Amino acid sequence: MGKIVVPFGPQHPALEEPESFSLLLEGERVAAAAVALGYNHRGMEKACESKTYIQNIYLLERICGICSHAHSTCYVESVESLAGIEIPRRAAYLRSLIGELERIHSHLLFLGVAGHEIGFMTFFMYAWKDREIVMDLLEDLTGNRINYGMNTIGGVRRDISPEQCERVLKAMDQLEERTKYYQQVATEEETMLGRLAGIGVLSREDGLRLGAQGPVLRASGVARDVRRDDPYDAYSELDVRVATDTHADVYGRVVVRVLELMESYRLIREIVKNLPEGPISVKAPVKIPAGEAISRVEAPRGEDVHYTRSNGTDKPERVKVRAPTLANLAAITNMIEGGYLADVPIVIAAIDPCFSCTDRTVKLVRAESGENRTIDWQGLRQYGIDWYRKQGIDMEKIKISRKDM
Amino acid sequence: METTAETNVYETENLLLSRLYGRFPALEGAGAVTAKRRVFLPVPMEHLLDVLSFASETLGYSSLCTITGMDSGDCFEFIYHIASDESGVVLNLKTRAPKEDPVVPTVLPIYNGAIFYERELEGMLGVTVKGLPAGRQYPLPDNWPAGQYPLRKDWKPEMLTETATEEK
Amino acid sequence: MIVDRIVRWARQKSPWIIHFNSGACNACDIEIIASLTPRYDVERLGLQLKGSPRHADVLICSGPVTMQQRERLITIYEQMAEPKFVVAVGTCACSSGVFQGCYCVQGGVDTAIPVDLYIPGCPVKPEAIIDGVTKLIDSMEAKKK
Repeated sequence: MGKIVVPFGPQHPALEEPESFSLLLEGERVAAAAVALGYNHRGMEKACESKTYIQNIYLLERICGICSHAHSTCYVESVESLAGIEIPRRAAYLRSLIGELERIHSHLLFLGVAGHEIGFMTFFMYAWKDREIVMDLLEDLTGNRINYGMNTIGGVRRDISPEQCERVLKAMDQLEERTKYYQQVATEEETMLGRLAGIGVLSREDGLRLGAQGPVLRASGVARDVRRDDPYDAYSELDVRVATDTHADVYGRVVVRVLELMESYRLIREIVKNLPEGPISVKAPVKIPAGEAISRVEAPRGEDVHYTRSNGTDKPERVKVRAPTLANLAAITNMIEGGYLADVPIVIAAIDPCFSCTDRTVKLVRAESGENRTIDWQGLRQYGIDWYRKQGIDMEKIKISRKDM
Repeated sequence: METTAETNVYETENLLLSRLYGRFPALEGAGAVTAKRRVFLPVPMEHLLDVLSFASETLGYSSLCTITGMDSGDCFEFIYHIASDESGVVLNLKTRAPKEDPVVPTVLPIYNGAIFYERELEGMLGVTVKGLPAGRQYPLPDNWPAGQYPLRKDWKPEMLTETATEEK
Repeated sequence: MIVDRIVRWARQKSPWIIHFNSGACNACDIEIIASLTPRYDVERLGLQLKGSPRHADVLICSGPVTMQQRERLITIYEQMAEPKFVVAVGTCACSSGVFQGCYCVQGGVDTAIPVDLYIPGCPVKPEAIIDGVTKLIDSMEAKKK
């Protein structure tokens, strides 16, 4: 056995009780980091045991408002497996359609947040304006902008009309055109590269070892994607191309998500073009035969996993959820340690975390003196922006622009 | 009984099981292929780390999806869900600990990213993960009363307010 | 036009808003931020999102009140100077929504602090946030007279 045992957890007594993020500083660098989680714990898994399988769809959809369809899909697929149900092909395609639209909204949201964290406000505004195109589409198709209620056990609840298909295709053209701006800024703007390259490094080896997922792992050169490796919904019939990058840093994570946007536009066109005829759901039993099932989907942030155990009643015995962000958080200290304090906000934002990170406070401890203070997220963000400005990297000076703003 | 058709459809999955049985004869016949790319195998606690090491280092199951802990009435159950990038198969290794001795060894040396999954076993079920480094509990809030483990079957949310009322 | 009246008032008063997420799924939080971005642009109404409770006029809350966030929510409310207004954004903030019965969830915002305006929705649409905000401004006007 050649594996290195890496002690996890506070490596310095000063960080023993991490509140949110605790950082041990040596000068302007982070020598050690510790992360505490759970402030958003609601008790959903326990709640699932006293609700019916159908009720749980609506509960689990709200684990996270950004990847709600992913959670819903992952869950119903585990239940369908237990019930021995195969959903109609049309339903599988519609699930993939909503899944890809969700990926688009999530990645555009991320681009905006990333822009915001580094003081690139124009980028933030563009990304969230473009995102409105897909939000409108989601509302058109499902009745809601977030928390779509699209799934039921046995298929989907809403069908799509030919007119809606046309609108989807038109939106893909618009979005593809606009995403070229992000591609351009990401690849051609020196300032962007200067700001994002070489920070938050996670080597391929560390990424694999620590269990990172999604765009974070793919930016470290690992071509892992549940849509291709363990296909679900329509993906076994679609041409899934896995987007990777080898920079293994924050810059790479931006590049991968921009590539994935382009891939999603292409996949959606393929889905609409090949949408099978037929029903959108099959009848599902109320009582699910005893058994156990595990399902995985590629949520925008990475692999989402749901394990369900049934006991023959209309309520599950156990529901276990592992959202992708939790997997990436095991690697976050590795990405922060050794880097600059000024990089902490964007490094954290670059894993696209599924928690409200602007609400976090960060504890800073000086290694030399042991003195500590707490800084709020806005303060840390501003520190980062000012620090880089002093180095001559100012996001407001970026030249590449768009005509529509 | 599996038909020939089923055996062919589940070729990868059955090969996986036969390799595990080959290395650990005590496990022979215990596994099940529940669906395409889904294999479940009960493992006695004393073999858990060896089986996980073998699966990770030799069979390519180097990705730990998560660990499910549950209260199964007469014992605690732990399921280690591990995946292979090459085959896309999820291998689910199940082990048990008696209620009187709820201890399971840490798998951190094999799966370095297991930290939160193992802390969750301790926090939510009140089991001990032997060898887990000291650190803050996950995922319950700071003001959670000690000794209450929400995922235990005999725990009800009302017990939380009962404690609060007592404290007043 | 009611919008002109609001814009004029807001530019005079510039109410400062502080946002608190007490355990939401983030859907409402995103729609609150989306209200600030080009299509919806609440900032043109003169409202500004600020960090400190001491200078805030309006506290916007998303998410149900959880065990771990309750004290913090109350502290923030107490730090605000009068006159102050509390808005519960989203069904969870109004009544805990789907999370009712979850053990860490104690209830809607009004189980911890007084609420002046409830904007339901799961999540709340930006249009509803703007509609709610304009109603709030009316109510602030009335309170200050």
